Amino acid sequence: MTLADYLPIVLMAAVGIGFAAVSLWLSWRLAVNNPTPEKLAPYECGIVPLQEPVERFPVKFYLVAMLFVIFDVEIIFLFAWAVRFEQHGWAGVAAVGIFVALLIETLIYVWKRGALDWNVARRERYRTVVAERLEESQRVGEAA
Amino acid sequence: MTIVQFLVLGAAMFSFGVYGVLTRRNAVLVLLSVELMLAAVNINLVAFDRFLADQLAGGQVFALFVIAVAAAEVGIGLAIVLLIFRNRRNANVDDLDLMKL
Amino acid sequence: MNIDYHALAPEIILALTVVAVLVVDLLPVEKFWTAVVGLGGLFLSFIPVLTLGFCESLEFCDDTGVRVLFGDSYVVDTFSLVLKGVFLGGAFISILLSVGYLESDRFWQGEYYFLLLSSALGAVVLASSRDLITLFVGLELVTGPTFLMAGWRKGDARSNEAALKFFIIGVISAAILLFGMSLVYGVTGETTFTGIRLASAGIVDQPLFTMGVVFTLLGFAFKVSAVPFHFWTPDTYEGAPTPVTAYLSVVSKAAGFVGLLVLCYLAFAELRNIWGAALWILAALSMTVGNLIALKQTNVVRLLGYSSIAQGGFMLVPFGAAVTAGASPAQLEDAFFATVTYLLIYAFMNLGAFAVVIAVRNRLVTAEMDAWGGLYNYAPGLATMLAIFFLSLAGVPPLAGWFAKLVMFRSALSIGGGWAIALAVIAVLNAVIGFAYYAKVVKAAWFDPIPEAIPADELRGRSIVPSLQFALGLTVVAVVLLGFFPDVIARLGDLTTGFVSGF
Repeated sequence: MTLADYLPIVLMAAVGIGFAAVSLWLSWRLAVNNPTPEKLAPYECGIVPLQEPVERFPVKFYLVAMLFVIFDVEIIFLFAWAVRFEQHGWAGVAAVGIFVALLIETLIYVWKRGALDWNVARRERYRTVVAERLEESQRVGEAA
Repeated sequence: MTIVQFLVLGAAMFSFGVYGVLTRRNAVLVLLSVELMLAAVNINLVAFDRFLADQLAGGQVFALFVIAVAAAEVGIGLAIVLLIFRNRRNANVDDLDLMKL
Repeated sequence: MNIDYHALAPEIILALTVVAVLVVDLLPVEKFWTAVVGLGGLFLSFIPVLTLGFCESLEFCDDTGVRVLFGDSYVVDTFSLVLKGVFLGGAFISILLSVGYLESDRFWQGEYYFLLLSSALGAVVLASSRDLITLFVGLELVTGPTFLMAGWRKGDARSNEAALKFFIIGVISAAILLFGMSLVYGVTGETTFTGIRLASAGIVDQPLFTMGVVFTLLGFAFKVSAVPFHFWTPDTYEGAPTPVTAYLSVVSKAAGFVGLLVLCYLAFAELRNIWGAALWILAALSMTVGNLIALKQTNVVRLLGYSSIAQGGFMLVPFGAAVTAGASPAQLEDAFFATVTYLLIYAFMNLGAFAVVIAVRNRLVTAEMDAWGGLYNYAPGLATMLAIFFLSLAGVPPLAGWFAKLVMFRSALSIGGGWAIALAVIAVLNAVIGFAYYAKVVKAAWFDPIPEAIPADELRGRSIVPSLQFALGLTVVAVVLLGFFPDVIARLGDLTTGFVSGF
């Protein structure tokens, strides 16, 4: 085992740890630590926050963002094929066709699983309301 | 322009990513820091590819795969963060201490 | 472009199975069928592995020896075939373990098998990868789905925690691994392993190359949970659903070791002093720390978590012994053989141990060792199998684990030199410590009294589902038979050493 081989690693680690230690030590020595209630507040001006913000982004946005990121980025493989489109000929088209078919299968799966449905609860409520009104109007029509 | 400039940029970005991973409490920000590390890798790969004048463009192809895998990982990560958020109403990494040595 | 479809058949069949599982999941049928399709697909993709392996004695197969595809980046040789068999078998048994577990609660079943099969596909690809890019894609395909599987008990905070910890460590290790790979690519200008090996001859002492190699190894150290990169392992193993833990500790870990094997013995073959020194330290630390912490555990799953860290250390011993400068190609082949053999045997006995844990947990709910007291009195079959698997993990002679330990010691001692001998001594000490805690579990199950807190109707309890019985039977037969006839596994291990001295 020749330890000389590890010299670059040891040097790098030493420089890294040294840099971190020196900067932490400096900030500890030089910084003035004098907290006041204003300084500890999240914002030093404006309205004093009385409570944590409760409502954040609805979870649905995350879901759509997730699906978008995945389906969007898969396109880069098409890019790799597109720059050499002519060399690969029909075999390339077939290969990319398989790739796209797999993506479409995934999309259908996501769709059927209801991940693309927006506001299902509200739509259900809307549907029942519409159905009730329709029924009522029919009853009124029959009575007349 | 020399390769060293790109490598320094890559190493710096990688270090910022490591710093973010170690210091951020929110899982989404940890995820962002990891993305920074992967972006640093891409800079390295593409810079090497350019300066080596690789006939097979191995570095560029590698970078494409890194981008795709990074996207898949973000998808998985967001799913897990959502799961945790639903159960405990925050996504702080430090609060995960149910199990200890 | 001419593609050897026979060589790719296992991967193609497995990929089609993954698609089929998604389709079946959408159809209005019982979710149970997704598991059946998955098992069938794994079995079907095992057939081409066999036909490729016995190619010379089959008429329809044109025997071309080692099949090289896609410009050196994908190779189907005996090494990859043996490991593909292990991965497919491991995934098969993992599904068998999962069926009863998933049906016992409201889990999302279709997606689960989809993810498990995708991960197995990644492992199968990984076994053939001889290129940085395919290696990376294979490795990510193995680990990506397992992040989600670890969090499968969605309402359970421990499972959530397991998933997040595993995920964060997993992506950080992937980033470190990639940074190392980018440096290796930059220094050598190659992504194929043979290319890297050829290019590395003149630049062995370049600092940037050393850094690239060390970063790459660090990334893999996370994947195989070697100490000091093991912190995620016990938490993830304890929090994840137990069948997922079994999968993680066998297939996912084996995938990490396969990556290490091809990188160290093929791509970085010229830098043996660098990876040898690093893995020497990791091996010694993993064995010692894993075993010492395992001694204190009271939860059997967590104990198996630390045990798998220690077993990983034993598998790293031949790597570490190879640091000896004068090691001949034959001795290196023996070291390679020792790691592969250990890996094969470990896969069977660890899956079996987890199968027993799942079966006992099915009855007692808890995995705390105190509650397992007197298991022999009301479940003699399970207690016997528990003894077989745990004593095999400890390396007690007539069981398979004994042969694994034997080849590991033999390779370290035959290479010789101060460092290798020292590592062998550490390994012996650890084998003794290991015996203590494995025996503790067996003693609790066989000789301790039944704890009073357990109601009597739980002891009579539920029967074991057929899939779990099948998995238990498979692994028990394998562990006992391989212990008495180690030649079988030794032959398989021998077949794999092809590329070690290939230059």
